[in-house]
Amino acid sequence: MKRFSLRYNLLTSKLDQLWFPFAFFGVFVIIGILRGENYIVDTTRAYLGAVIPLLGGIMASYSVLEDPSLELRFATPVSTLQTMLERLLPSFLIEAFFALAYQLFAAAFGADLASMYGLWGNLQIAWMVPTISLMALGFFTAIVAAKSTIGALFAGMVWLVELVAREWFLASDIGKYFLVYMSIFYPDNPALRNNQFALVWLGLILFMAAWVLLKKQERYI
Amino acid sequence: MITIKSLVKTYHTNGRKVQALNGVDLDISTGMFGLLGPNGAGKTTLMRILAGIANLSGGSATVDGHDLSTEQGKHAVKSMLGYLPQELGMYPELTAYQFVDYMAILKGLDEPGERREWVEKAIELVGLTDVAGRKIKSYSGGMKRRVGIAQALVNDPKLLIVDEPTAGLDPEERIRFRNLLVKLAVERTVILSTHIVEDIAQTCRDLAVLVHGSVIFRGSPIELMQAASGHVWTLTTSAMEKPNHDLSVVSMLHLAEGTQYRLVGASAAEYPEAKEVQPGLEDGYVWLMKRTGQTEEVLA
Repeated sequence: MKRFSLRYNLLTSKLDQLWFPFAFFGVFVIIGILRGENYIVDTTRAYLGAVIPLLGGIMASYSVLEDPSLELRFATPVSTLQTMLERLLPSFLIEAFFALAYQLFAAAFGADLASMYGLWGNLQIAWMVPTISLMALGFFTAIVAAKSTIGALFAGMVWLVELVAREWFLASDIGKYFLVYMSIFYPDNPALRNNQFALVWLGLILFMAAWVLLKKQERYI
Repeated sequence: MITIKSLVKTYHTNGRKVQALNGVDLDISTGMFGLLGPNGAGKTTLMRILAGIANLSGGSATVDGHDLSTEQGKHAVKSMLGYLPQELGMYPELTAYQFVDYMAILKGLDEPGERREWVEKAIELVGLTDVAGRKIKSYSGGMKRRVGIAQALVNDPKLLIVDEPTAGLDPEERIRFRNLLVKLAVERTVILSTHIVEDIAQTCRDLAVLVHGSVIFRGSPIELMQAASGHVWTLTTSAMEKPNHDLSVVSMLHLAEGTQYRLVGASAAEYPEAKEVQPGLEDGYVWLMKRTGQTEEVLA
């Protein structure tokens, strides 16, 4: 039994999950146009490496706990893992769509990102890694606190602290592995691969921990 | 069908430990079973444990032989369950048909033809066929409750758990809902949790009263009524003051000759004009609460 319907998964998703990233996409398109082609690479990096991960963290925080029929869903044999994936994957796919759309816009505007990131795949990894890690952080803290807002605030706080203190993180022997901006802003840093590796693993661990916690369904109704 | 032994449930809230269920023992078979008790008695906690949503802290609970303390047991119970929670959250943008259809998918009805049949049947049973294409956000409270019961029935459950289903319904809706539950209980176990005595009186042949997480009465509505025999009176008086002397006023009726009070208590000797009457279920419930020192909770 698959107990899944893509149609209903989309119909029961909150429209904010679409409007929120769309609004930021629109704002950054306008910023890109206003700043002109001389700055399009910088604007694209800011959007992909900072805005997309932040939105991912916030949306992941709200993804499961804001489901109005959560108690009814918990009373069905649908597994906790499926519940998580059904709500988190659309958030990630929406982020991916806007990340790719902005790259197309930037390319049409004359941005040359290949000289900085080399392979196309490297550029995708550069926004995916921080997005996955902030999504995991936002989701995990929301689940720990059993409150979506806490997850969104925590993801936002980490995002802001790392943005302000990114030089300190870069210089720190441990901090550099957890700097979410390294992929996009410091692609030549020798610690890049280890940073990506550490962030992905941390993200997976947080997702798994959230999964285990979510199994205690009574905390969330 | 359901066997509950020494069931204990504790949880922590705001840093303090709360004992929601305190050694509950119950055996529930096919038919309509009523769970009565004041707000905060532990009814919803018990319902959630039986629905496999909440974990047990101690004791045991089995449904049709499936142990609710194990993940496999919970999964098996959820596969045969219809559940209507106290606070029913729905997707306002979906139509009633879509909502019930979605719940049918989550319950494992994958085959479209079979699912359509069940969804239509469930919607028809609650009398919403004509409006099933309307968005839920346009429904009244009573209609939403009916959608709730339709989703609970869509998988033809062996066990139906309904928690405070008539709260917020108008009298007509309430009667209709009670009749529907009675009809459904013919071939399955229906557990009705409520603090509204009238709902139990009209529907159940078997009930338990839960107070502070413990079962203080287990039996039939008639037994609960009979327990109050000799302890229920009516008193008609033109005096402004309510009767006292450790008597609980169950109801008041304003008549031309004064106010008629329905009283429950140990003795009405202070009121020689009081007439002894046959107790109803509500009287039985109030008398039970008085005997066990819970009167204030009931009559607050």
